[in-house]
Amino acid sequence: MPGALFKAAAIVGAAEANEIGFLKTPVTSLQLHIEAIKNLSEQTGVPISRIEGVFSTGWSSELCEHLGIRPKYIDTTSVGGCSFEMHVHHALAAIHAGIIDVALVSHGENGHSSRSIGGRGMGNYGRGGGVASPAVEMTMAYGIAGAPGAYAHAMVRHMHRFGTKREDYAHIAKVSRDWATLNPRAAMYSKKKHPFGGPITVAQVEESRLIAWPLTILHCCMVTDHGGAVLIASPKVAASLNTKPVWIAGAGESMGHSNMLEMDDFTATSARASAEAAYTMAGMGPSDMEMALVYDSFTITAAITVEMLGLARRGEGHLLWKDGHAAPGGKFPINTNGGGLSFNHSGMYGMPLLIEAYRQLSGTAEDGINGDKGKQTSARTCVVNGTGGSLSTTGTLVLVADD
Amino acid sequence: MSYELPVPTPGTHTRPFWEGTRAGKLMLPRCQDCNRVHWYPRFICPHCHSANLEWIEGSGEGTIHTFAVQHVAYGPWAKHAPFVTAYVDLKEGDRMLTVLRGVDPAKPEDIRVGAKVRVEFEAGSDDVHIPFWRVVEG
Ligand SMILES: [Zn+2]
Repeated sequence: MPGALFKAAAIVGAAEANEIGFLKTPVTSLQLHIEAIKNLSEQTGVPISRIEGVFSTGWSSELCEHLGIRPKYIDTTSVGGCSFEMHVHHALAAIHAGIIDVALVSHGENGHSSRSIGGRGMGNYGRGGGVASPAVEMTMAYGIAGAPGAYAHAMVRHMHRFGTKREDYAHIAKVSRDWATLNPRAAMYSKKKHPFGGPITVAQVEESRLIAWPLTILHCCMVTDHGGAVLIASPKVAASLNTKPVWIAGAGESMGHSNMLEMDDFTATSARASAEAAYTMAGMGPSDMEMALVYDSFTITAAITVEMLGLARRGEGHLLWKDGHAAPGGKFPINTNGGGLSFNHSGMYGMPLLIEAYRQLSGTAEDGINGDKGKQTSARTCVVNGTGGSLSTTGTLVLVADD
Repeated sequence: MSYELPVPTPGTHTRPFWEGTRAGKLMLPRCQDCNRVHWYPRFICPHCHSANLEWIEGSGEGTIHTFAVQHVAYGPWAKHAPFVTAYVDLKEGDRMLTVLRGVDPAKPEDIRVGAKVRVEFEAGSDDVHIPFWRVVEG
């Protein structure tokens, strides 16, 4: 039996900034936010002034000020890339409680542009100061530069435990690129769009430059510019709009650790717990899901996540891609936008997951950009999982199409 | 030659650890109520939440839990890349991050999860000596 919050709210629209990817003219994170919110308002017909709750990472108050919103509900949850899945969870609860009817979840991050102009957007969930945190004090001496250097440890342990080879995970990168070639908005859509774009082979993934062994660069996500926003509404408001609702059937969140030093099991994440909460609320299980959108900061992230979501047995997550099920035309599509590996990843990837889930389940996955069927699937249910930090935090949503 | 890599600033409750490093000892926090060792140092026991903590001298022995080879590094570590980082399971329980010594970053396939390692210290400053772990048996 579904929980009390089952379908208490719907995602009623999803939009992105005007331009995303490796932008030639640098943009600020705020601009990416605002463009996406404006596009969302136009798509849904919901005036910005009607937004009652604002959910974002550190940005919520600045967004309200910029937009002239006097919110009834403010949320600044900022625990990494999965924050946006948690925002949806929190908005669902706030709507169910009757505090608000219309919630904005917004993301803007100039991960690429910040290299030339700097700016907020990377580091809202940073590592904190050395003296203040004993975890940092005891790890900062050892030269791990960023996420790839950390996640590589999980991949080695996963391979050790399950006897897999790096090449097994390379299929995830290859298949995600196949999806990106169907998505004109993907940064790696084609060679014309990006010198390294277009189809890739497993061998190319394996032979690309090493970043943190065993991760080669094609096992790693990109760092691009991205902005996006979704609107969450009560059933009553949803019924009054012209856009299709995508129902939030289940939501859950959890965390295993903050610093990877505290990761108990390097082959598992808290997605098992957050997914269990989401499935329970939905009154559904993994076998009811028809597609998945999972955070793929690295190939190993996606492999572990599908195992945690109950979509594959432990140690066999990669087979969904290797056997072609996750690929275009396969029986269980995964990461149909091309993923953080080949679509976009600005540092925090939770929002693109939400946008693609909305598009798939509302039948607008091509956005009319190129007029052909492209990446649209026939799925009516989708499990979405964001992962933040160093395999630290997770937010899971079970979304279903309107009847 | 002076140490050029990042050196942590000791916190308010971790001084016994750094004092230990200067004497070549691996001091570890242990809870006097549940007797479990934990790492990193806490204000209360992460297992039973007791504030009854003490420092004990650890054996300096452990095994490799998992590892990675850092080919991209920044700041002072950049010129040392590639180098091998590892999480080490301490004999006394719990886990430490380190840079491994006695391994070849070009041959990660020769590094074994479960291999025995032993701690050694290098002076980062007068106050802070950094623990590194060396593979002592493949
Ligand atoms: Zn205790």
